[in-house]
Amino acid sequence: MATQLWIIILIGAGTYLLRAGSLVLGSRVQWSETTKEWLSYVSPAVLGALIGPLLLLKDGEWIPLTENLMLFAAIPTMIIAWWSRRLLLTVAAGVLFYAGVHAWIG
Amino acid sequence: MNQIKRSNRSEEIQKALRDALPILLAYFPLSMTYGVLAAAGGLNGGLAVFSSVWIFSGGAQFMLLGMFASSVAPVTIVTTLLLLSMRHVLYGATMGPYLVNWRESRKWLAAIGLTDEGFAVTSSRAAQGDPLLPSYYITFAIAIYGSWIAGTAAGTGLGSFVTAELAEVLTFALPALFIALLAGGERTLPFIAAAGCGAVLATLAGMLQLGGIGLIVGGLAGATLGQQISRIRSRRTTTTRANAKRTIR
Repeated sequence: MATQLWIIILIGAGTYLLRAGSLVLGSRVQWSETTKEWLSYVSPAVLGALIGPLLLLKDGEWIPLTENLMLFAAIPTMIIAWWSRRLLLTVAAGVLFYAGVHAWIG
Repeated sequence: MNQIKRSNRSEEIQKALRDALPILLAYFPLSMTYGVLAAAGGLNGGLAVFSSVWIFSGGAQFMLLGMFASSVAPVTIVTTLLLLSMRHVLYGATMGPYLVNWRESRKWLAAIGLTDEGFAVTSSRAAQGDPLLPSYYITFAIAIYGSWIAGTAAGTGLGSFVTAELAEVLTFALPALFIALLAGGERTLPFIAAAGCGAVLATLAGMLQLGGIGLIVGGLAGATLGQQISRIRSRRTTTTRANAKRTIR
């Protein structure tokens, strides 16, 4: 248990220092226009990288497309998101779609 | 003057809570699952809550449970998970420029909220061109932090008072949030290509059991691809690019 505690302390301290250090440094450095432009693409790239595995994998395994309930719910969610551009509405509708898919198939 | 400042602040706080709400919805069941799994896996309840307070990173914490369960060597655990946390450097570098005029201590406070989901929301907000104010950003950070801790405590302490089915349905809040953020951003080809590239690479990395490395590789490669495409396109068209106005309400 003492080992576990130390592991948690080290990981937490390291993670926070990486977060705070890069944030503070990022606010001081004068980025070039090229870097700024590149940074503007980080956000969509990371979003894609978050969504991909979340929708397509389970514990690192590919979910067959015909059995992928999350993907079924993701399609109407994307339509709502595209059309409304509203965060909360999209999340609420998405959860309802997923509940629907679950009740219907799962 | 003071009056204006105050009403402005309460507006910022309201905006922050509105933006945080989807994350709160997603975090609570997720961190509760973490608490339940931690208790089941033999991690002391107090330690589980402490890990949420001290680490506040879903990815790292879930991997930590797995590694405790398969009794991986402590040094390996710490190095692997810190490598995984390197992705936050990418987030910090992106958000930093919006915080130039902030007091130093506030930057250190805001850093708490730099999780994957927190970054996704605040960077989308910042990209719309509104200045990021401390009252907005810090309220946002504390709100999502609080829900993460509360969820963990609920999961370890009270067992699951939310049924397994409801928790399962709520897990979709996370992908739905990311979809909403993506659709709310710019919808030009370079941005869509960046997202697609990130999705493909991260999925491949996930299938190779590389976990969080996929976020770093996908983020770096996706951003580079997006920038390259936009350069090729702007070279081709001499006319000014019609910039679609982007808004998230």
